[in-house]
Amino acid sequence: MITAIGDDVAGNLHSLRSQQSGLGFTNHLDTIYKTILPVAEVKHTTPQLREMAGVAGIDGYTRTTLLGLIAMREALAQAGITNVQDEPTGFINASTVGGMCDTENVYFDIMDPGKTGDFLKFIDTLDCADCTQRIADTIGFTEHIATISTACSSSANALMYGARLIKAGITRRIICGGTEALTRFTLNGFNSLKNIDKRPCRPFDQQRNGLNLGEGAAYMVLESESLVRENNSKVIAELSGYANTNEAFHPTSPSPEGDGAFAAMRDALAMSGHTIADVQYVNVHGTATLSNDVSEGKALQRLFGTMVPLFSSTKPFTGHTLAAAGAIEAIYAVLAIQNQVVFPNLNFTEGMEELYITPETQLREGYPVHHVISNSFGFGGNNASLVISKYEG
Amino acid sequence: MAAISPQHTFEGDLSVQPMVISGGNMLSCVEPDYKAFIPGNSLRRMSRILKMGLTVALRCLQDSGIEMPGAIVTGTGKGSLQDTEKFIKEIRDYKETALNPTPFIQSTYNAVNGLIALQQKCTEYNNTFVHRGFSFENALLDSMLLLHEGKENVLAGAFEEITAEHFYIKSRIGHWKAENISNDTLYRHFSPGTISGEGAAFFMLGPAATPNSYAELAGLKMLYKPTAEKLAASLQAFISHEEIDLVLTGRNADTNYDQYYQVVDQQLSGIQQLPFKHLCGEYDTAGAFALWLGAQLLKTQQLPAQWFPMLQQPPAKLRNILIYNNFFGEQHVFMLLKGI
Repeated sequence: MITAIGDDVAGNLHSLRSQQSGLGFTNHLDTIYKTILPVAEVKHTTPQLREMAGVAGIDGYTRTTLLGLIAMREALAQAGITNVQDEPTGFINASTVGGMCDTENVYFDIMDPGKTGDFLKFIDTLDCADCTQRIADTIGFTEHIATISTACSSSANALMYGARLIKAGITRRIICGGTEALTRFTLNGFNSLKNIDKRPCRPFDQQRNGLNLGEGAAYMVLESESLVRENNSKVIAELSGYANTNEAFHPTSPSPEGDGAFAAMRDALAMSGHTIADVQYVNVHGTATLSNDVSEGKALQRLFGTMVPLFSSTKPFTGHTLAAAGAIEAIYAVLAIQNQVVFPNLNFTEGMEELYITPETQLREGYPVHHVISNSFGFGGNNASLVISKYEG
Repeated sequence: MAAISPQHTFEGDLSVQPMVISGGNMLSCVEPDYKAFIPGNSLRRMSRILKMGLTVALRCLQDSGIEMPGAIVTGTGKGSLQDTEKFIKEIRDYKETALNPTPFIQSTYNAVNGLIALQQKCTEYNNTFVHRGFSFENALLDSMLLLHEGKENVLAGAFEEITAEHFYIKSRIGHWKAENISNDTLYRHFSPGTISGEGAAFFMLGPAATPNSYAELAGLKMLYKPTAEKLAASLQAFISHEEIDLVLTGRNADTNYDQYYQVVDQQLSGIQQLPFKHLCGEYDTAGAFALWLGAQLLKTQQLPAQWFPMLQQPPAKLRNILIYNNFFGEQHVFMLLKGI
């Protein structure tokens, strides 16, 4: 994985533990909000990313693709996969705006019949499939391939789809996640909705005033149990439950009582075969928008009643990385289980008047974490919840 | 099922609809009167692809007699181009200030899905695939998984629009023919590039046939950038035990990628093939048009002759239809359709 708080999983864990936020002002985005709206930007220039991704000097890779490629290489290395052709391996990617980070800078040149030049090679990067195929072609994936776009729940849905393809016996190994680069397009989009806070975001705080955008990428290697046994793969966690529901309430707002979030968490937990008492930590969507936190908080209270487990939003670390958020936070859930740690919800001071619960604000080392719920909710009413569990073999 | 396309596919008796002919290498949809489906005050706020997508979905629900689907799964390669273009321009024109959020919201690829769910109050599974020539096909695969997992039915669909702006952009990388042709003459212009198109189609899928069923989707195979050998071998495996009566082929007179259709020709020699791109043009989710067409042919057991002037003799029977399509040589798809 790669985010504003680390170039790899270890770097992310280190920053989470040392409570180092990745929020700051952009170095790379050309926008009038450069010094006004904080973002969680990956601290490398695009040429630097090209080098890190192993494609130095090769043109045509967007920042979206490069972030994805860096995360993909780490995921493969971590899983000990040197050749994806050894076992038919699928790839499910997630993206909200594809290569917009690069195309928005050359769009009007592309549109101008009087102009010609290098920018023409970005024409194909306009859509969401470009980053997926570039990553696939660079790594050598030739099997099942797909890109999902359900706004902020995109990569949670990618993980879900991959798990279901394995369950149905269509593949035994599939790599799922998402990639997202900061763009003027999304920054202005969320800002036009008055959803962006000028200060570092404060999830589940009474004074919260919106989200901060972030960028990053994360992938997870999913394998069937039969392949795990055959290859003696080292299992780091189990995806034990998942659910996808829709709010059917409003194009950009969740229902005030959190109906969709409640149903997603309830159904995912039911699939996992565990009960509310088994969940030690919820990595909430927690964007710090006015409506999300009320809705998600209500859903937590409805599901867990008086037994709400520790919960925190890691968005103050990474910003809201949109299509990548689900996969980034799924990895944080794995880290919580592996290291028996709960990450703090930064910037919290005052409980919300609508809720009786408050997020965990301290780093909790040595906390017994066996089952984590990870939430990702998005525009279009798209809700996704994952249950990630300690693998018991 | 239901379809809006550059042909008269939305309502009425297909067998009497003439082929719609247009020039300029760009086919646009014959759009219905949306007011019959969407209230006027909502319509004014919606961009074109939202209207098309929602209307076709609602028409499909009507046609199936199922109001509340068990899931909504779609595919779109480009989503709302109109909204994306508009928001990019407004960011520039208004220098990032005082922007109207509507085009941003509607540019999200899952906006149509969200709208259908909202309209039908459908809180079930909802997903959107955005992968060029695999967008609709992944939506189909996801739907088949859902049915396998126990869903009673799934509303699956695809939607795509072409704008003048996007047509121009893609012309700069050679997607369209240099010569200006009309769709009825497509196969006489065998040259680099093809003609662009658009369309929306939705299907109600269930685990078993009902008296309303059009056809059975008996097979689906996606191949990413296959070699000619892999394409041929996969096709052989795909149809190994099937007697194919008709092939609906995505052939589009583009010499850049015709080699794949030649591979299929070799594998299927002796089986009648009919092309469909002169009817709908080329776009990411043209496979949905082919599926709609194939299912229509199987249900009615008729080939509208005016749509297929190249047809010399109708097949002796119409029981099994193979669809083969590829999108600019990258995403290749086989579908097997069977009569009920």
